[in-house]
Amino acid sequence: MQLSRYLLLRLGKTTVAAWAIISCIFLLSRLTSGDALIRSVLDEAFTQPTITATERAQTEALLRHRFGLDMPLFYVSFSTPAGATSPTWMWHGTTNQYHRWLNSLLHGNLGHSYREDTAVTELLRRAMQYTLPLTMLAALLGVALTFELCIWLEYHPAWRSAMLSILYAVQAMPLFVIALVLLLLLANPDVLAWFPAYGLGSLGAMSPWEGGLGQYLYHMVLPLISLILVSVPGLVIQLSASMQLELHAGYVATARAKGATPRAVVRHHIFRNALLPVLPLLAELLPNLVAGSVVVEMIFALPGMGRLLAEAASTQDYPVLLGAVLLVSLARLFSQLLADVLYQWVDPRIRLSA
Amino acid sequence: MKRILVGLFLLLWSGLVGCSTTVSSVPNTVHVRWARDPENLDPLIAKTSGALEVLNLLHCSLLQASEAKGDFIPWLAQEFPQVTLISDSLMKVTYQLRPEATWDNGKPILASDVAFTLKVMHCAGLPTELAQARFGFVRDIEPDPHDPRRFSLLCRGQSIDFVRSSGDFSILPEYALDPNATLRAIPVADMGKPLPQVQAFARRYLAGEFSRHPERVPGSGPYQLENWQPGRQLTLTRKTAWWGDQVPSAPPQLWAYPRQINYQIIPEAATAVLALRRGDIDLYPLIPANEFARLQQSPSDREQLQFLTADSYECLTANFNMRSSLLKDRLTRQALTYLFNVPALIKASQLGHAYPSVGLISPSVKQYYNDSLPLPAYSPDRAIALLQQAGWKQQPDRSWTRTAATGRPEQLRLSISYRAGEPSFETTALQFQAAAATIGIPIELRPTEASLLSRQVQQGNMQILLRNMSGQPFAYDFTPILHSQSTGIYNASGFGSPSSDRLIEAIAQEDSPAKKARLLRKFQQLIYEERPLTVLYFLQYRIAAARRLGKVPVSGLMPGYVVTSIRPDSAAN
Amino acid sequence: MKWKLRRISLLALGWLLLLLLGAAGASTTTPPPDLLNTTVAPFHPDHWLGTDTVGRDVWASLLAGARSTLLISLPAALLANLVGGLLGALAGFFGNTRLRITYGWFGATVISVLAAGVLLGPLWNSPYMLLVGAIGLGAVTGWLLSRSNWGRRLLPIPLDDVIQALVALLDSVPLLVLVLTVAAIQQPSLLGLIVLLICTCWTTAARLLRAATLRTVPLPFIMAAEAAGLPPLRIVWKHIWPVVWPVLLARMPLSIALIIGLETTLSFLGVGLPPEVASWGRLLASSRLAPTAWWLIVCPGMAIFLTIWSLQALTKAKTFNVTTEIDVTK
Repeated sequence: MQLSRYLLLRLGKTTVAAWAIISCIFLLSRLTSGDALIRSVLDEAFTQPTITATERAQTEALLRHRFGLDMPLFYVSFSTPAGATSPTWMWHGTTNQYHRWLNSLLHGNLGHSYREDTAVTELLRRAMQYTLPLTMLAALLGVALTFELCIWLEYHPAWRSAMLSILYAVQAMPLFVIALVLLLLLANPDVLAWFPAYGLGSLGAMSPWEGGLGQYLYHMVLPLISLILVSVPGLVIQLSASMQLELHAGYVATARAKGATPRAVVRHHIFRNALLPVLPLLAELLPNLVAGSVVVEMIFALPGMGRLLAEAASTQDYPVLLGAVLLVSLARLFSQLLADVLYQWVDPRIRLSA
Repeated sequence: MKRILVGLFLLLWSGLVGCSTTVSSVPNTVHVRWARDPENLDPLIAKTSGALEVLNLLHCSLLQASEAKGDFIPWLAQEFPQVTLISDSLMKVTYQLRPEATWDNGKPILASDVAFTLKVMHCAGLPTELAQARFGFVRDIEPDPHDPRRFSLLCRGQSIDFVRSSGDFSILPEYALDPNATLRAIPVADMGKPLPQVQAFARRYLAGEFSRHPERVPGSGPYQLENWQPGRQLTLTRKTAWWGDQVPSAPPQLWAYPRQINYQIIPEAATAVLALRRGDIDLYPLIPANEFARLQQSPSDREQLQFLTADSYECLTANFNMRSSLLKDRLTRQALTYLFNVPALIKASQLGHAYPSVGLISPSVKQYYNDSLPLPAYSPDRAIALLQQAGWKQQPDRSWTRTAATGRPEQLRLSISYRAGEPSFETTALQFQAAAATIGIPIELRPTEASLLSRQVQQGNMQILLRNMSGQPFAYDFTPILHSQSTGIYNASGFGSPSSDRLIEAIAQEDSPAKKARLLRKFQQLIYEERPLTVLYFLQYRIAAARRLGKVPVSGLMPGYVVTSIRPDSAAN
Repeated sequence: MKWKLRRISLLALGWLLLLLLGAAGASTTTPPPDLLNTTVAPFHPDHWLGTDTVGRDVWASLLAGARSTLLISLPAALLANLVGGLLGALAGFFGNTRLRITYGWFGATVISVLAAGVLLGPLWNSPYMLLVGAIGLGAVTGWLLSRSNWGRRLLPIPLDDVIQALVALLDSVPLLVLVLTVAAIQQPSLLGLIVLLICTCWTTAARLLRAATLRTVPLPFIMAAEAAGLPPLRIVWKHIWPVVWPVLLARMPLSIALIIGLETTLSFLGVGLPPEVASWGRLLASSRLAPTAWWLIVCPGMAIFLTIWSLQALTKAKTFNVTTEIDVTK
C-alpha cells in the first residue's frame, strides 16, 4: 500500500477515534459531576444573609440556563417519567447539551471558561506558551540522555548494575518528591541557593521569552531536571533491557564476524533493533509535551497546561476541561500514528494494515 | 561522557548565573503570596478571595467591614446611613457621599453613579446573577432632588444586616462605562427587560471584557492595575493623585501607603516559604502551621521575619446528621462530642494556633459569647455514661446496640465524611476513630472528593460531616446553617424546629446589642444542648512577613491583613 | 556471571521474603494516631524510625505498608501488565484484518443488542429474562442468517483500531473524571481500587507488547506456524508470547512504583485505601506536609526501591534463562 494512501486512511480513522474519545469524556464528565459547579457557586453565596431560599432557586435556574445545563444531556435518555413505574427511552431531539457542544466544536468554537469568562482557545494558547518550551526541552534532553546512557552502558558492563540500581532508586520516588528535594537542596538559602525557587523571572514580561533566553533557562533548570529525572530511568531501563536481548541475536555475531568494532555494533546494529520495542514509550512523550506536568507546574509556580487541566477538572469547568482533553488526545492519537509509521521505518518487514 | 556532561552543566550554570539579574521593583513595594489566580476581576462578578481583595483596592464601596469597630464603617459614604422604616417590611436607607470623592478625571462621585451601578447589576444579558441575588433586596434608588451626593435606597427587609449589605458593592463610574448616559432614563426595575438601550449597553459592557481587563474600568480606589499575568502575578500601582489624600485627617479605611502591591501566585506552600526566606515575597498570609512554627524556631529567620496571628471567625465543625436514626437523639450526639480530643487536635494540626469555643460564636466576641457553658472536653467515660442514658447497651463484644423506633435492634456504627486531601480533617477523623474504637464504636472514615461531598450533604447522605465554616464578627444570621428552610441546601444536620427557627429569625432581626446578646446566649445554650453540630476550634490566621515591612496590621477577616496600612519605607528608618 | 547472578537473586529473594514476613507480622489493628508526638525524628527510644505527621510510628507503618503493597499494588501491577500485555499482543497479531466474523453473526449481534435496548424498559424488573431473551434472539437469528449466502461472507473486525482507541481514551480521561465515574457506580472499596488501578495502568503494557508483537509477526517461524494451519490463538500463546514477554518483565518492576504513586493520588481524591490503612505511598505523600522530615522520604523510598530492585533482579535472572533457551532453539 502506498504511504500516502495509508496515511490518509489512518488520518480518517484518527478523526473518528478523536470524536469517540472526546464524546465519551464529555458524557462521562457531565453525567458524573452534574451541576457541582453551580452548587459550589451557590453554596458560597448562600451564606450571605440577604439571599432567601427562593432567590437562591431563581439564581440556580438562571445560572443553569446561562451555562446551558438546563437542557437534556443527550439525544436520548433512559429514565423514569413522573408517574410511571419502569424507566423508558425518551427522545429529546437536537436541543440537547451534546448536540449544541458538538455543533460549536465543528465550527471551531471551544466555548468560554465558566470561571474566567475567557475563550478556551485563549486559555489553552496561554498555557501552551509556558508548557511547550519546558516539556520540549525536557523531552529532547531526556531522549538524548537515554540514548547516550544506554549505549555507554552497553560497552561499560561493569557499571551496568550500579547504574541500574541508581535508576531504580530514582524511579522509586514520585515526581513531587524529586521536585521538592531538588528545590530544598538547590534553591534553599540554608543549603545551596544556586537556582531561583519559582517562576520565570522578568516580572513585567508578558511572554516567557521577553526577559531574555538566559534568564528563562536559569529559571527552568530545576523544573527541567525534575522532568528529566522522572522520565529517563524508565526509558533507560526498558531500552537497556531490550538491548540486552538483542546481544544474543544472530546478526550481532555476523556483524562481529565481518570485523565491525563492538562500538559500531552497539551503535549501528543493536541500537536500531532494540529501539523498536521502546518506540511506544518514546511516542508517549508527544502527548506529554502538550499535557504538561501538574506537579512540576504547581511546585515551581508555572501557569501551564497541567495546572489548567487539573484546576478545570476539580472545579467542573467543562469547556476548559474538554478543550484541553481534546488537544491532548489529538496529540496522543497522532503519536500512535507516528509510532506506527516509525515501526515500518525501523523494521521494513513490518507491514501494517490501515 | 559523564565528565563532559558535568562540565557542560557547570558552564551553562555559571553562564546563567552571570546573566541573571535581580528582580527590580519600585521601592516601597509589598510582595504578597497568593495560592491561586483571582480568575475574574469584573467588579460585579468576582468570586475568589483574591479577586475581592484586588477589587477593594481598585474600587470603593459605600461601606467597608471593619473588624476593629465590629461593624461596617463609612467609606465612600460620609457616615453610616440613616434608616427610615416604611410599613412593616420595607425601609429607606439614606446615604450621603463624601464631598472629596472624585473619579480619576476629577469629576465628583455622585448618586447617579450609584444608580448606574445598581442598573448594571440588574442589566439583562450580563452574567451578574449572583450579584442580583445578593443585592436583589435593594428595590430602587431615590436621588435627593437638592443634593446630587445624597440618595436613598429602598430596601426589602428591616434588619441591620440588610443596611450593612446595602453599602457593600463597588461603585462603578458612569462617565467611563456609559458616557452618553443611555441608562439614566430607565428605572432599576426595568433593567431586566429586553429594552433596546439595555441590550445595547449589555453588548458594550461584554465587549469591554472587564473580567480580564479591570484597567478598563477606572475605579474610585487608591490603586490601578499595572499588569496582570494570569497564573503568575498581578501588580497594582498607587495613583499619584487620589481623592482620599484630600480628606483631612483621613480615617484608616482611606489610608493607602504602599507605592506598589505585587501579588505572586505560588501554589505550593514549600515553594512559597523558600520565596519568603529568599526575599522574593514579603508577606505570606495563612501560612501552614508547621512552616510557621519551623520558621519561628530558626534564629536566622527570626532576624528577617516577623510572625503575626489574628483570631479569625473561621471554625472547624463536626455536623451530626439528625435524620439518621442513630443520631436522632441528642444524648448520643452529646456523647460523640466527648470523643473529640480538642486540645490534642489544636496542638497537632494547628500547632497551638487555634482556640476552642462552646459554639458558633468566637470567644473573641466577648459581648455575645456565652461563657457560662463548659468548653468541649475529651472524656470517653462521659461518652459511655451518656450513651447508656440514651438507651444504648454495650454487648459482650463491646459493641453498642439498642432497639430502634422501628422495633428492630440497631448497632452504633457510624461513618464520618470530610473533603479528601485536607490534612486537618483527616487528623481529626483519625483521632475520633481511634477514640471511638477504645469504647467500642466502629467508625468508618469517608474522605470524599469535594463535588461528590457537597452532593451527599444535599441529599443528607452522610452521618457525621467535618467542615470549616466561616462567619463575620457582625453578622449573626444562622439561617443558612441551622434553619429548617436550609435543610437540603447548606444545613447538613437537618436541624430546625419551629421554635429554633423563630429564635434564629429573631436574632437576625434584632438591632439592640443587649437584646441580641441575650438571644445569642440562648441560641448557644440551645445548640449546646441539641448538639446538631459541635465547634472543635476556631482558627487563627497566621502571617509571616518580612521585617522591612514594619508594622503589619492583621485582621481576623479574610485576607487576614490590611495591605493598605503597611508602610514599607517607615521600617527602614 | 552465573554465581553473581545467583547471589543477587538470593539477596532479592531475601528482601521479598522479609517483606512477606513483615506483612504477615504487622499488627492487624492500626496504631492509633498519637497527636502529642507528631513528626518525631528517628532514633527516638520509642520510635526508632520516627513518627509521621499524625504521630504514627514509621516502622509500624512500613510493616503495614508492606501488607498493602503485597495485597494491592503487586496484584494490581501484575494484572495490569498481564491484561495490557495480552490485549497488546492480540492487537499486534490480529491487526485490523486478520480477525473476521461472518455477516450473519454480526447482524445477529446488532439485532439482539437493539432488542435488548428496546425491551430494557418493559423488562426493567426482570433482568435475567432480558438477558436470556436477548441471547436467545441473537442465537436464533444468527443461526438463520448464517444459512444464507450473504450471512456466510466474512467481515473483518478492526481489533487493532479498537484497542488503540481504547488506549488513547483511557490515557486521555482526566483521573478525576475517571474517579468520579467509578464513585458514581459504587462505594469506594478495595476491589474497586484494584480495578481502577488496572484500568489506568494497562495501557503502557499494551503499547509495549503491541510493538514487540508487530516485530515478531513477520518472522519466519510465525509464518511457518500460520502456513501449518495452527489456530491463531494458539500461535499467539505458544509462539508469540514467549518471544515478547521479556519486554513485559522489564516493565513490571517499574509499574509497581507507578502504581504505588497512583494509589496515593487516588487517596487524595477519596477513592484510595482507607485513611487508617498505612501504605508506603501515603507515607511518602505525608512528607509534602513536612518537607524537612527527611525520614518520611527516606524510609518508604528505600522500601519501594528495594522492592522494585529485587523484582527486577529476579526477572533479570529469569530473562537470562529465557534468552539462553532461545539461543538453543536457534
